Amino acid sequence: MMAFFRGKGWVTGLFVLLALLFVFTRVIQPNYGANDFGSLVRAVLPFAFAVAAQTVVVIAGGIDLSVASMMALTSVIAAAMMDGASEEFALLVVPFVLLVGFALGALNGILIVVTRVPDIVVTLAMLFVLQGAALLVLGAPGGSAAEWLKELVVGTVGMPGVPEAVTDWIPKGLVLLLVCLGVVWIPLRRSWLGLSIYAIGSNQLAAFRSGVPVARTRIVAYAIAGLFGAMGGLTLTMSTGIGAPIPGPYLLASVASVVLGGVVLGGGRGGLVGPIVAVFLLRLVRTDLTLLAIDPNVAAIVEGTIMVVVVMLGAFLAMRGRTQ
Amino acid sequence: MRNSRYLATLLGGAALLASAVASNAEGPYTIGVSNTVQGNGWREEMICAIKAQALASGEVDKLNIAHRNTDASGQLEDLRNLISAGVDAIVVNPADPAGIKAALEEATKAGIVVVAVDQTVTEPTAYIISNNQEEYAYLGAKWLFETIGGKGSVVYMRGAAGASADSDRDTGFKRALAEFPDVTVAHEVFTGWQQDQGKQQILDFISSGLPFDGIWTSGIDNVIVDALVESQTPLVPVVGADNAGFVGQLTSVEGLKGAAVTNPGSIGGAGVTLALQILNGKKPAEQTVLVNPQIWANTTDEGMAQLKAAADPSLSPEWPVSISIPDWTTYSKEQIVACKGPGE
Repeated sequence: MMAFFRGKGWVTGLFVLLALLFVFTRVIQPNYGANDFGSLVRAVLPFAFAVAAQTVVVIAGGIDLSVASMMALTSVIAAAMMDGASEEFALLVVPFVLLVGFALGALNGILIVVTRVPDIVVTLAMLFVLQGAALLVLGAPGGSAAEWLKELVVGTVGMPGVPEAVTDWIPKGLVLLLVCLGVVWIPLRRSWLGLSIYAIGSNQLAAFRSGVPVARTRIVAYAIAGLFGAMGGLTLTMSTGIGAPIPGPYLLASVASVVLGGVVLGGGRGGLVGPIVAVFLLRLVRTDLTLLAIDPNVAAIVEGTIMVVVVMLGAFLAMRGRTQ
Repeated sequence: MRNSRYLATLLGGAALLASAVASNAEGPYTIGVSNTVQGNGWREEMICAIKAQALASGEVDKLNIAHRNTDASGQLEDLRNLISAGVDAIVVNPADPAGIKAALEEATKAGIVVVAVDQTVTEPTAYIISNNQEEYAYLGAKWLFETIGGKGSVVYMRGAAGASADSDRDTGFKRALAEFPDVTVAHEVFTGWQQDQGKQQILDFISSGLPFDGIWTSGIDNVIVDALVESQTPLVPVVGADNAGFVGQLTSVEGLKGAAVTNPGSIGGAGVTLALQILNGKKPAEQTVLVNPQIWANTTDEGMAQLKAAADPSLSPEWPVSISIPDWTTYSKEQIVACKGPGE
């Protein structure tokens, strides 16, 4: 039991919970099928990238309050640039927007390192700055998205030799999510840089004395968060076909999923898989609440309660494991 | 012979099943609702009107309400969940006209009747029943500019930055402004349609000492009058919506000149009626039905009479007094105030 929880136990637990929730969903709505799973994935996308951004920063011992504003800004930049432009032009827009996200994330990090103002204050200020900037780009929701970009999250992936009954359950959005996260996270996790991010989150002084360039690592962590934020912003534009300057409910949701995903808020511990599974879990809870036609005012209470209970239960099991 | 009869029964059964899935021809129906602003008096009245009308119609056995604070992307999620829930019709107050097009299209494809209320949507298969927001702002602004004598400066207290109802109203406001070249905007702020925020903003502006001759509000109105009275600032003309609190002030506060422009939250109930009509095979001639606003100014006898008739201190001050729409809603006042849907 102890070893189990020290290892990948938390993430395994989340997967089991998610599977149980899928069974439950199937029970209350027997018609819940591949299409509905596709809908779930599309709902998960922006949250998943917001959580990925938050996870990297939290592991590095910080917190990024500007993540939702970052998504709003990158989303309106993309939508404004693609408005009336050709399909090919969007090929340039995507890397440009990702670069903007990376740069603004780095700016977050630089401000924190140079001014020595706490993370929470700097990123709170950036929340307002980026929100204002988003309104400057687009005063009201508008702009448009290239068709091929919108198609990236619609439908399923066909694979030769694999029966449709299987590919129906592989929506394009899921592939997009896994590829985008994997391309950044897997090399990072295996690199010296990734190790440094964990190190500064775990113990800054110890990391410094071991020769980790603390300032530089922090800036990179925020820059990667900015990059994930920009990906999230792009998925917003992809799914809605527009850019909206008012930030969505992604900040608190990202913190919630990070905690639920088993990342320690003080930094240094946790991974990316847990928070992403947590996002699926929370979105599926929302689906079930709608399917059950629960009073919407009660629904929010239920969501919050589930979160607390799961985290408490996990802590309780871990504690019991330790005393045995 | 026996085989073919068996086959016929099977086919007949399948056809019956197919027709039930495709059109759900007979009631009672399940109606899904999607709304993305929670905790605002106008939207709460809209939800209560939807519940009351669903109950009063007798044709709805279940409401499936997704009602929370979220953005267009979150509304896409809610709409798709409603599709998964297999509702017969969806009444939606869109977070954005274009941003939720994809999910509305999917809903229509799944055989679900889509009715947008309050604001418009770009999806061509959706039916729209809405208050005319541009006209709403134009009527009030024109009255305000005339009342201050065609010259001076006004405080322009808008709704939520980026919301489509707000940008439509801005178009109407600017149209009126263009007709009065000597009127200027002294100060422009977004209240976010939040009472506390609006009150703080006007108090901040009053304390700046800058002169102003009138205030146009996007429906955050009674707290503005409160602020003027509390800070003992000379009462300038105020334009607001037909919220119960503001309508009461227009008939009772000494020396206050003002006008209420109607913007019934009961449009939600009208949306249910329209959805049921379509489900029963009675499609409207036009895809879009617009409800035009009225203006009740306490500076004319006629307006004062309308205000007095409409004033209803028993309603929550944030609720619009026009709790029903003739021809479109059939519930009683008790039903909408109780805010109970079928099966509650």
